[in-house]
Amino acid sequence: MISCKAITKSYRKGPNVVTPLENLTLEVPRGEFLALMGPSGSGKTTLLNLISGIDTPTSGTLEIDGENIASFSRKQLTKWRAQKVGYIFQLYHLIPVLTAFENVELPLLITSLSRSERRRKAEAVLELVGLTDRSHHTPSELSGGQEQRVAIARALVANPALLVADEPTGDLDRESAGKILELLQTLSREHGKTIVMVTHDARAAAAADRTLHLEKGKLLTEDPNKSLA
Amino acid sequence: MIALLSLALKQLSRHRLRTALTVLGVASGMFLFTSVETLQRSLGAATEETAADTTLVVYRENRFCPATSQLPEHYVDEIRGIPGVREVIPIKIIVNNCGASLDVITFRGVPQGLLRKFAPEIEIIEGSDSEWEKRDDSALIGEQFAKRRGLKAGDKFDAVGITVHVAGIIRSPFPQDNNVAYVKLDFLQQASRTGLGIVTQFNVRVEKSSDLKPVAAAIDARFKSDQQPTDTRPEKAFFAETAGQLIELIGFTRWLGLGAVIAVIALVANAILLMVRSRVKENAVLRTLGYPGRAIMFLVLSEGGLLGLMGGLLGAGLAWGFLRWQSFTMGSEGHTLAILPEVSTALFATATALVLGIIASVHPALVAIRQPIVKSLRS
Repeated sequence: MISCKAITKSYRKGPNVVTPLENLTLEVPRGEFLALMGPSGSGKTTLLNLISGIDTPTSGTLEIDGENIASFSRKQLTKWRAQKVGYIFQLYHLIPVLTAFENVELPLLITSLSRSERRRKAEAVLELVGLTDRSHHTPSELSGGQEQRVAIARALVANPALLVADEPTGDLDRESAGKILELLQTLSREHGKTIVMVTHDARAAAAADRTLHLEKGKLLTEDPNKSLA
Repeated sequence: MIALLSLALKQLSRHRLRTALTVLGVASGMFLFTSVETLQRSLGAATEETAADTTLVVYRENRFCPATSQLPEHYVDEIRGIPGVREVIPIKIIVNNCGASLDVITFRGVPQGLLRKFAPEIEIIEGSDSEWEKRDDSALIGEQFAKRRGLKAGDKFDAVGITVHVAGIIRSPFPQDNNVAYVKLDFLQQASRTGLGIVTQFNVRVEKSSDLKPVAAAIDARFKSDQQPTDTRPEKAFFAETAGQLIELIGFTRWLGLGAVIAVIALVANAILLMVRSRVKENAVLRTLGYPGRAIMFLVLSEGGLLGLMGGLLGAGLAWGFLRWQSFTMGSEGHTLAILPEVSTALFATATALVLGIIASVHPALVAIRQPIVKSLRS
């Protein structure tokens, strides 16, 4: 599913060149739930941004489902993101004035789907995340866990094969975090979604099939206690 | 496209206070813009000659104000005999204020029985012809005049020392007629103490507009050596000359209109720029979800356009209603300029506001799509 070969990302910051990722190679098979861990500045969010197509590598190849997205134009990447990837943010990033249903429907507004088709799909994913009864509530009327479930539903609604999650439990209490992780496990195991999750939390990483550690832009070790399911 | 437009509308309707304040600001600007446009168009209609114009006015040469134009009433027969003249009517005019004024009262004295013949387009919308015929002091009041003064059929009305009985309210396609009080000529001659046989002007209807110049020249030539030489011109040309101050004043209002346009652009641009800045992350999230730059641009431009449209509708609608309700009239030397709001002016102002809203949003829209997604998400 994901094949990163000798990926490097560097950018200029004032007079200096910063390289958050250097010569990184990584393979993630379809349907795997992968956790990326590492200290702040280790390059895990940069890697997530590259995999999700919101940033591009400076060098190397990044193939997802056989397509080298590193060579995509900005326009191609935008289209690819809309169809192939769902992004889950740590702070949910829901649009505050829209209801849960409207937030989930957002990715479908730029498709050619009819209103009834959009409604059906949005309702289906809201049911999947267990929020049918909260669909007409705005984010301010939801708990943190519920907001994150709405964000997951929004990431799922276009039915992408790949989900990327940037510390999805980082802002949640233990109980809510546990439910979110259970949901991600279900999506991986029962719905075949490939999930790449960045986390600082070892408990969250334990929910994944495999954990990789990054430090200073390089892949360090693979968690020896975990294996592919 | 419709789905995105609906999203823009939701953003506006759910940020009520911000939207209401911006719409109010745009509405104020467009109220002013519509009022200025109405003034300009009304002035244009009153002074620009068209192919449909067939009316000449004969005054005494070198007159200033109706009071100094005293012509013998018997000129009427000689004017009627000039080729190209379809109808002629002697008119005595009394005004309350000869200079430029916002509330001018004009009495036009016409021979009994000749008014409907001279101006068949006049329609009596209240009262009756028989009431007009049967009393010496009866008056037919123009619709706008009556509205401004709160007059209705059966009322008594007193101005400039003349007291009349309102026999009816009239409506005419010509704004001048809607702003005067028609009374009987002999009654007005006696009431104004100028005496019988003296009139202020002759209104001459020619067969076609191309007859205006030759007939005017023929009339002036005929009376050149007479006791009272005449000055004959199309009615609108007289107004354009006598209302010089008004025209200058109204010309100045163009700057007010321009100021209103600039204020609306600045207001919408400021509101949209603030909105874009406060929604940097939201836009970055939308782009992460796969929204192309043109969709984000469309959303931002839609919000600006909708703000302009709502403000335009409110401002232009209010201005249209206000000007219609108030029936403002400006007068100078007995000529009146009716400030008549037209639906087309309000629609033009609304469309202008929509375009201004979109133009004002172009820069904020570019700001919204130019910043890299990762940088926007971190901000």
